[in-house]
Amino acid sequence: MTMAAVVAAPARGGFATALALIGFLALWETAARGLSGAYVLAAPSEVVVYIANNAGLLGRALAVTLGHAAVGFLLGNLAALGLAAVAVVWPRSQGVVTGLALLVFCLPLVATGPILRVFFGPGPWPQILLAALAVYYTTLIPLLVGLRAVPASWFDLVRSYGRGRWSALVHVRAVAALPYLFAGLQIAAPAAFLGAMVGEFTGAERGMGVLTIRAMRALDVPMTWALASVATAVAIAAYLALGWVARRVLRDDPPVILAAPPLAGARRPFAAVGDIAIVTGIALVLWWGALEWAGLSRFFAKRPADVFEALVLAPDAAATRATLFAALAETAVFLVPGYLAGLVAGAGLAILLVLVPGLAGLVMPLAIALRSVPIVTTAPLVVLLLGRGAVGTVVLVAVMVFFPTFVACLHGLGRAPGQVMDVMRSYAAGPVARLVRVGIPAMAPAFFAAARMNVPAAILAVTVVEWLATGKGIGSLMALSASLSDYNMLWSAVVIVSALSALGYGAVGLVEARVLRTYAPEQLA
Amino acid sequence: MTSTFSRRRLLATGAAGLGAASLGLGPRRAQAQTAVALQLSWLHSVQFGGSYIAQDRGFWREAGLEVALLSGGPNAPVEPPVVSGTALIGISAADYTAAAVAQGAPFKILGVAMQKNPFVVASLPVNPVNTPADLVGKRIGMALANMPVLQALCTLNGVDVAAIEVIPTQYSAQPLLAGEVDCLLCWETDLPVAMAMQGVDSVTMLLADHGYALHSQTYIATDDSIANHRADLVALMAGEVRGWDAYRADTDAAADLTVRMFPDAGLDLPTQKLQATRQVPLMFSDLTDANGFGWWSDETVAANIETLALLGRPVTPDLWDRSILEEVHGA
Repeated sequence: MTMAAVVAAPARGGFATALALIGFLALWETAARGLSGAYVLAAPSEVVVYIANNAGLLGRALAVTLGHAAVGFLLGNLAALGLAAVAVVWPRSQGVVTGLALLVFCLPLVATGPILRVFFGPGPWPQILLAALAVYYTTLIPLLVGLRAVPASWFDLVRSYGRGRWSALVHVRAVAALPYLFAGLQIAAPAAFLGAMVGEFTGAERGMGVLTIRAMRALDVPMTWALASVATAVAIAAYLALGWVARRVLRDDPPVILAAPPLAGARRPFAAVGDIAIVTGIALVLWWGALEWAGLSRFFAKRPADVFEALVLAPDAAATRATLFAALAETAVFLVPGYLAGLVAGAGLAILLVLVPGLAGLVMPLAIALRSVPIVTTAPLVVLLLGRGAVGTVVLVAVMVFFPTFVACLHGLGRAPGQVMDVMRSYAAGPVARLVRVGIPAMAPAFFAAARMNVPAAILAVTVVEWLATGKGIGSLMALSASLSDYNMLWSAVVIVSALSALGYGAVGLVEARVLRTYAPEQLA
Repeated sequence: MTSTFSRRRLLATGAAGLGAASLGLGPRRAQAQTAVALQLSWLHSVQFGGSYIAQDRGFWREAGLEVALLSGGPNAPVEPPVVSGTALIGISAADYTAAAVAQGAPFKILGVAMQKNPFVVASLPVNPVNTPADLVGKRIGMALANMPVLQALCTLNGVDVAAIEVIPTQYSAQPLLAGEVDCLLCWETDLPVAMAMQGVDSVTMLLADHGYALHSQTYIATDDSIANHRADLVALMAGEVRGWDAYRADTDAAADLTVRMFPDAGLDLPTQKLQATRQVPLMFSDLTDANGFGWWSDETVAANIETLALLGRPVTPDLWDRSILEEVHGA
């Protein structure tokens, strides 16, 4: 089985999968029976009974949430395609495009939800837009990587036919980017569903998120886990369906990229500094302009000047800053270890699957399930099992980071050039040698793309957990500020969190540039 | 701000007009229905049963008002839609309203649905909390955000708050039943009801019975609405009063209606019936019997101001404006 086959056919090990599923269900049933007095975990048998008795209710809720998630998925991914096209056709703009995209992606759900609700009023738009916001970035980043994963000779071919940048985009780059696009879409599918569910917290009348809140408050454990199971099943189905489409579309082995394409206009010194200044400027103008255009009240829709005032000029600015940074410090304790653990686990598992392909049928469904169970439901269980200390939150952040990294790394490993692998095989190189010399270098761009896009994802996870479960840190501070109408604090937190996410992203980018200079110079064009 | 207000109002009116036309309600338009919205503070449930009755029995429609009941949720603050004019009235609580006013929101409290604050300390009969003094040495599960509430209760009753172990938990009865905590800070009408429906008896100590005087489920509107949309406010509040009086007369019917109106909300009829009866003693009192639903007196406002001061939210009696309610009750 080649690496590409492992990637493309996650569930082909039918027997192993069936065995894993049976073992998993048995374990689940036993655990639920053991914990029966604790009101945290329902057994699969109870879940099945609940679903059978409430099929109508669940079906209607699923239809609503799935519909919103699907529209959001579509809009978010179209936006990603558009942004990626702009960045490639006009390379100078890439720093600005990705910078702005990053800033928007970093906006915390806790804060954007209520603002979208006021903006759009009652109706589905906050749910749809939160789903779109949850996906566009995880598609954009792999896509940008893919659009550059092209051998220089292909461009020479385009030029020799006298065609320009547009043809290169359509005939060469788009084709090369397809595998990366599918990786992004597969990561996006569960994220869209989660985004739509969290969007329902802003005042929706129906849907899976509404029912989840209801079930948890009512101590209705079978209902809670029935909802989680349905959400998980849907996310897995979407993942597998996209994988099936990918298998139909992606038939060729990846190309060999031996020489980097010529650098399209060497980067001027300080270009990055300039990009940051432009991004910051555009973001401030958009922020101010959008709120003014909509005529939103300054009571809750704070402008850049209000935040500057609150953080710097106001008499209580020092106290505001102290509160904010104390909360951030609390959050960092969970965030950094969770993020790193998630990266290591994701890359490690991907490598393990390549070395022992037989495990794929066993591990893949579990990995997808783990990521797809809504964090809203798992938080109390993890907290019960691991205590209310740091470990529970760290594990939840790691779970959120783990899956995108795992999928990206698997796809990255699958990008190992076919001819090079043939050469290695003809010299009787073992699987470990092939992995170290070809697989891991091929995985590097995808791994770093995952590491970058996981900075905001990890912050999203930690703030949601703090908000819904632990009541600590910056996530809790933002929720509290919103309920107490302390919108100066809320917007200040949004600004600081977004800025720190962007900084973290930049830091990963620096490490990435050093590594890729050696292994994948075409990515640095 | 004013210009947006009218723009939104215009849009809302237009949309409601379209809706009415498509429902074949054309002739009724002779009565010139005004479209307004009431922003609820939580997901649809019998907590707002009186409003559903007003809607269902046409109390508002008779007065020329087409009222949209906007659902709340865990991430749906009430104040922004009211400030922006999306909702004419919002359902808040005195402490949240005081906080919003301190941040510059032009709100007044027009009516008080919950005369007694619904906060309780819930515990299990084997290890009960019957008085604030019983809290000493106990582990209490609550959101850290509610720390000022616990502090105020302790100050009012001379209990050392440092002697209570606070454990931050999600809002659920699960930590109590799992033995992670000895008691919970929650509402009388939600987690204890959930436990009862699971067959678990609980002991609840109502904070309002121990000096914690704080109006809850209060109706708020902006100064601008009070000045310029008085008739709509009076009509909306009049419907609320009639709705809640009907609710009190038959809480089971209110629960039935709630479940019928929101079939997708996952509501359970027995739970809704129990919740409906449990909130009656919080909403109706000698004061409301004498003066009508939603009423308050100078004394209850003074007690609220004292509690708010303990919560670090100094306010004046100007926060309350009884003029709309006086028109409704013809006082």
